[in-house]
Amino acid sequence: MEKDNIIEVKDLHVDIKMLEGLLTPVRGVNFEIKKGETLGLVGESGCGKSITCKAILGINEKKCVPHGEIMFRTTDDEEIDLLSLNPRGKEIRDIRGKQISMIFQEPMVAFSPMYTIGNQINECTLLHITKDKKKAKEITLEVMRKVGIANVEKRYKQYPHEFSGGMLQRALIAMALVCYPKLLIADEPTTALDVTIQAQILELMKELQKEFNMAILFITHDLGVVANMCDRVAVMYLGRIVETGDAKTIYANPQHPYTRGLMGSVHKIGGRKDERLFSIEGTVPLAMNLPKACGFYDRCDARIEGLCDKAEPELVEIEPGHKIACFNCQNPACLAHREAAMKQIKEDEAKAAAEAEENAKGGKKRGKR
Amino acid sequence: MEALKNFFRKDLVQYIIKRILMFIPTLLLISILVFFVIQLPPGDYVSAHISALASEGELVDADYAASMRADYGLDLPVWQQYIKWVKDIIWTPTDTPYYRLYHSHHNWKFSFAYGRDVWSVINDRLGITIGVTAIIMLFQYLVSLPIAVYASTHQYSVGDYISSIIGFIGTAIPNFILAIVLMYLSYKWTGSANVGLFSQEMLLNGVHLYNFGEFLKRMIIPIIVIGTSGTCGIIRSVRAQMLDEVARQYVLTARAKGVSEGKIVMKYCFRAAMNPTVSGLGGVLSSLFSGSTVTAMVLNMQIQGPVLYKALQSQDMYLAGGIVMVQAILVVVGILLSDIALAFLDPRIRYSGGGR
Amino acid sequence: MAKKKSKEDYYLASQWTLMARKLKKHKLARVSFLILAILYIAALFADFLAPYGLEEFDGLYKNTAPTNIYSVYEGEHIGPYVLKITKSINKTDFTVTIGEDLSEYYKIKFFVHGTPYKILGFIPCDLHLFGVGEGSKGGTGAKIFLFGADSLGRDIFSRVLLGARISLTIPFASAIISFFLGILIGSISGYFGGVTDIIIQRIIEVIGAVPQIPLWMALSAAIPPGISTIKMYFYMTLILSFINWTGMARVVRGKFLSLKNEDYVMAARISGVSTWKIIWKHLVPGFMSYLIVSMTLGIPGSIVGETSMSYLGLGIKSPATSWGVLLQEASSVTDIASHPHKLIPIIFVTITVLAYNFLGDGLRDAADPYK
Repeated sequence: MEKDNIIEVKDLHVDIKMLEGLLTPVRGVNFEIKKGETLGLVGESGCGKSITCKAILGINEKKCVPHGEIMFRTTDDEEIDLLSLNPRGKEIRDIRGKQISMIFQEPMVAFSPMYTIGNQINECTLLHITKDKKKAKEITLEVMRKVGIANVEKRYKQYPHEFSGGMLQRALIAMALVCYPKLLIADEPTTALDVTIQAQILELMKELQKEFNMAILFITHDLGVVANMCDRVAVMYLGRIVETGDAKTIYANPQHPYTRGLMGSVHKIGGRKDERLFSIEGTVPLAMNLPKACGFYDRCDARIEGLCDKAEPELVEIEPGHKIACFNCQNPACLAHREAAMKQIKEDEAKAAAEAEENAKGGKKRGKR
Repeated sequence: MEALKNFFRKDLVQYIIKRILMFIPTLLLISILVFFVIQLPPGDYVSAHISALASEGELVDADYAASMRADYGLDLPVWQQYIKWVKDIIWTPTDTPYYRLYHSHHNWKFSFAYGRDVWSVINDRLGITIGVTAIIMLFQYLVSLPIAVYASTHQYSVGDYISSIIGFIGTAIPNFILAIVLMYLSYKWTGSANVGLFSQEMLLNGVHLYNFGEFLKRMIIPIIVIGTSGTCGIIRSVRAQMLDEVARQYVLTARAKGVSEGKIVMKYCFRAAMNPTVSGLGGVLSSLFSGSTVTAMVLNMQIQGPVLYKALQSQDMYLAGGIVMVQAILVVVGILLSDIALAFLDPRIRYSGGGR
Repeated sequence: MAKKKSKEDYYLASQWTLMARKLKKHKLARVSFLILAILYIAALFADFLAPYGLEEFDGLYKNTAPTNIYSVYEGEHIGPYVLKITKSINKTDFTVTIGEDLSEYYKIKFFVHGTPYKILGFIPCDLHLFGVGEGSKGGTGAKIFLFGADSLGRDIFSRVLLGARISLTIPFASAIISFFLGILIGSISGYFGGVTDIIIQRIIEVIGAVPQIPLWMALSAAIPPGISTIKMYFYMTLILSFINWTGMARVVRGKFLSLKNEDYVMAARISGVSTWKIIWKHLVPGFMSYLIVSMTLGIPGSIVGETSMSYLGLGIKSPATSWGVLLQEASSVTDIASHPHKLIPIIFVTITVLAYNFLGDGLRDAADPYK
């Protein structure tokens, strides 16, 4: 593991056993985040973003079985595979909330309605920082102040239903930041909020990131937010990362057809009135019994018949730090990947044909007897 | 301290007052319903009683009959009879024959079956009825809550299935049938049917510490019989509630904070699941009264069920109606108390002043 | 392609088809439905299935245990037969010993002639599914009592079957009455709202607060003494419905409140459709499945109610017979201890209640076909 990486996710799979078959919402995800960096994980709903980040914390439902490797740097020269820990055990619970914390999509339901906001934030302080109740409250109040909650003494004693959505998101951020985590996972933190509040929350997160020098894994389907927040972007589709690179590069030069589609579907201020927004046809297929093909094949406008429906492209680096998983790209690295895949397909076909022939012969022989 | 301060919050006090005021029309409706029941048998109450006495060869003098008719208001239109009945129950003045006879300001009329005033008959067993019901209720919650928590945290486990199956059977077998079967089994195994709440000795000397064990032994069958169906109901509803809560987003938040599973279940899920449980208290009480009525007859328990039965057999309607009314009022008071308790437990109700 | 077709099929199928499909998957519900169907059919043809009539008695057989059925007589396999019982009294302690008369056997015969009855109430007939004929030596008087006999020497098996007619249909009839009452009152409450709603809701609340069985018992005071079976039946149905409609009304009201502001209702109203037509044509079909579920789940309570009341002698009274009436025989410990076979009707009550519960549960799961 590289020294300045805070987390490295290697070949992460998540399987869900269902009555109808095996569901594979995450199929081999790789990424890493450096200290103080923001990685944006982008994709449609159902592409496996949320399950990926819950897998990091080990808080997925019991039926989700992850495998692969998630290396996390606990101290400067110590690292640990989070997946090797018992998801209900003490070790991972000491990391949750303290070293890695998470902000959720809908702040309105992220707090229990039964307890005061103060109680719920303070729970985290008491668990990870100090057992001294007075000190803990001081720390909690301090962090609440820091995230821009006014009148904290009063707010501390109030219940979630007395907070507005934006205030609740601030409280949720306070709860996530109370232990100065090294990594903050933000799962669509602004989706449920008004646009103006969104901007405030994002601004707040940026400020706090600078102050604490923490890494952020920012999950969203809002490309505008990504441009504003992230250093690097990973685009996810059907449980895989299809393109990753610097935010600027990807915005200026999207290479994967899916990324291009996403970019085309964003409304630009100042664009022509009669310009129609691009939309990607079709929906994300269900991640069950997937054929050996590119997941985007059905919806792709640049597919290569006979190749894309027979092999699944791997991530290939086309320029430093910019990788895509697509056969249809004129970059030399991509072309090489395409050649290799073609060759493989031919070999497989030849093998299958030979086998079929063998079988046919065998069948005849048997028939003769 | 905090709770005490909360108690005197203006909005909470307002909420409680509102609930108590809503209690009055409910009482009124109950009394109308009960009066309707009292009027059900054909013919009027006093004539039926007098003819019954006559058939036994007892002669009733005309003055007595006339004063009875006046006391029941039988010559008035029905709605005036109702008003008189309610008024007499609330307050009977000192100069009435009833007060002179029984020295009570609350005239619940006369029970022919027992030859006494209705209230004294009801009052005889009111305490023991409430006591027995309370014991069974306590047992129900003590047994069902842990089982429900276990079943919901171990969904689809063997224990979960067993508790569901027992639950189903418990709700399906009518109380009195269970009573008959248990009585039979008890007789077969111990040689005694363990019938009746008190032994002869207890009836003479009363229940004290030294014979309390015997009393508890006699409570076993009633607790099982009357408690089981309710217990199963509570288990089913709390389990469903818990399963709802376990799937909530805030559970994920707590888990992401590093809170342990046990604490998540107890602090968050159980606490939230308690609210509907508390608000179901009135219903549980009602089903307890309902279940204990027939069971008491089978097991010969000294509570109000058998009195109601005797009253109905002899069409002693004012007594029957009185018992139904007292039970209904107890249930409604239970609902009221659980609503108030809920206002304390659920901050959303507490602060919205009960805008449910 | 096949997959697509099944998907289309799914979206085009009516709600009822989907419900039926989902219910088929619910094993317990399916078994319960089967059991209930068998019970109801048995009740319908009870006269034929029961070897004896409702009031047919034989003093010799008072309180006897279920009749033993043998097939081997003196070392010879002759098919199912029964023996006549004998009673001997011990002169010193007056205990009665029941024995069997081994001198002759009585074969069990099928389709025998016995007590006359009317099929479905109008076709006269005297055929019974099975019975005991003459003895091998021409003797008479042997009886077959599958579940034993009661204190008057009547066949409990026949009485369970004949009693099922009342025990199984009263709750069902009362459920149907409650169903219509509930829809009527619930829709009035939900559709008109305001003061009407408040008053109806209060009434429902109060009826719900009064303990069910005591209220049923008190209402039974309305049954005049010495009336015909049919009238008794009618009264009992009404008494049970008196409480049961409230649950239904609550469901209907809740659904009304959530549906009445839907666009299609608004559209119907703007087009000038009358209120009643909106209720019956547009609203009620939308939540009919929920009503049927709630109706089914209400039936077990009524069965328990009817049985309890008849058991106490406050409901169905002799000569009319229901399972509750049969259980009166099992009211004292000594009675049960010496004749445990009198508890047999309990099995039927329990099975029926369980079956309705399971069926209701299955229906509830199926009621939301798109879930």
